[in-house]
Amino acid sequence: MMFKSKLKEAIICFKAGRVTMPFPLGPELHPPGDGFRGKIEVDMEKCIGCGGCANVCPARLIELSDSETTRIIEYFLKRCTYCGRCAEVCPEDAITMTREYQLATNDNNDLYIRNELYMGTCGRCGRCFKPQSALDKMMVTGFRQKTEGK
Amino acid sequence: MGFDTVLMQTWRIREPVMWLCEQITGNRKTYGMNLIGGVRRDITSEQKPKILEVVDRIEKEWLAVIDAIGGDTPLMMRLKGVGVLKHSDAVNYCVTGPTARGSGVAIDSRVDHPYCAYDYLIPEKKVQEGCDNLARTLVRLEETIESIRLVRQGIKELPEGPIMAEIPEEIPPGREGVRVVEAPRGEAIHYVLTGENNRPYRWKVRAPTYMNLESVPVMIQGMELADVPIAIASYDPCFSCTERLEVVDRKSGKIRVYTNEELITLSRKKSGR
Repeated sequence: MMFKSKLKEAIICFKAGRVTMPFPLGPELHPPGDGFRGKIEVDMEKCIGCGGCANVCPARLIELSDSETTRIIEYFLKRCTYCGRCAEVCPEDAITMTREYQLATNDNNDLYIRNELYMGTCGRCGRCFKPQSALDKMMVTGFRQKTEGK
Repeated sequence: MGFDTVLMQTWRIREPVMWLCEQITGNRKTYGMNLIGGVRRDITSEQKPKILEVVDRIEKEWLAVIDAIGGDTPLMMRLKGVGVLKHSDAVNYCVTGPTARGSGVAIDSRVDHPYCAYDYLIPEKKVQEGCDNLARTLVRLEETIESIRLVRQGIKELPEGPIMAEIPEEIPPGREGVRVVEAPRGEAIHYVLTGENNRPYRWKVRAPTYMNLESVPVMIQGMELADVPIAIASYDPCFSCTERLEVVDRKSGKIRVYTNEELITLSRKKSGR
């Protein structure tokens, strides 16, 4: 009885063969599937500083702080749960989920993103705010000059 | 238990499920699927045959494992008659999940208080009368097969339609909600009290280990020391749910972790012992 059982167990093991994969230095044999949510990537060119991502983040790792004219957006990615809510609600698609998942690190700064966004100052209360339209913003920041030689 | 062969093989069998979860939800473990109002991703028509294929493979391999370990005498000697939790003790200590079902207490919140789709997908209660480690193990083995049946039925009868309900208004503060959900270890109870700004004010979770852990002193009474780890592992504890308490002062933001001694002193003071 017992011998038969051990034989069956051995057959299961031999049938499976070697299934472990070399990690992390070997070739990536099993890449993440479609729609995998890895480390977030922020495109600051697109960000309008609305703070929607900070509002929905369940782990509250996105922090907004305002100075007079700039809004500082900090991402503490060590707390990220990779739910992808920020990428989902972003109206400008500035946040994307990459396929990067090997995030183990000794340095907290590797998992920290800090972005400064020029907004505008309210003439009345002195706090930074988003101008009404892109045109209003240009009135403050000035138009982008054509670079020489291009 | 020193029986790593089956442990490793079951992990191998489990791995395709993790890959499947990654394809369906986008992550291996922290799925981030449920929101208030529904789920975020639908199962596409391309994924359905893939799921069935994986399920078929798991069933075949799982039955082979059950067949193999059934006659393993040393394994049975360590499981049979060890860690006995009598039916009356199981009722008195309010144990839940497979621990209760292994002691002949037929409770399963999926059947007793159906939620989500369990009105249509009715699981069969797997109850064993053995009251020992073996009974609890058998409950889990049989429930795996039962889960496979539920997945097949669910894929077949999954209706079309929207996956998310629109909630245009903010949730009013001061509302309460309690729900019992059958987790793999037993009943998980969540209590939510809503607060201002569409955020929860208080969230209390009672994980199943909290109840099952209470039964350990009875379970290991009069046992040999070498059998204790097996008895404890047989109800699959998750100590991170019960291990410690963290108190955050909201004004200063200071975090204080209570030590073991402090907790014992506090609980003795509270219970008047």
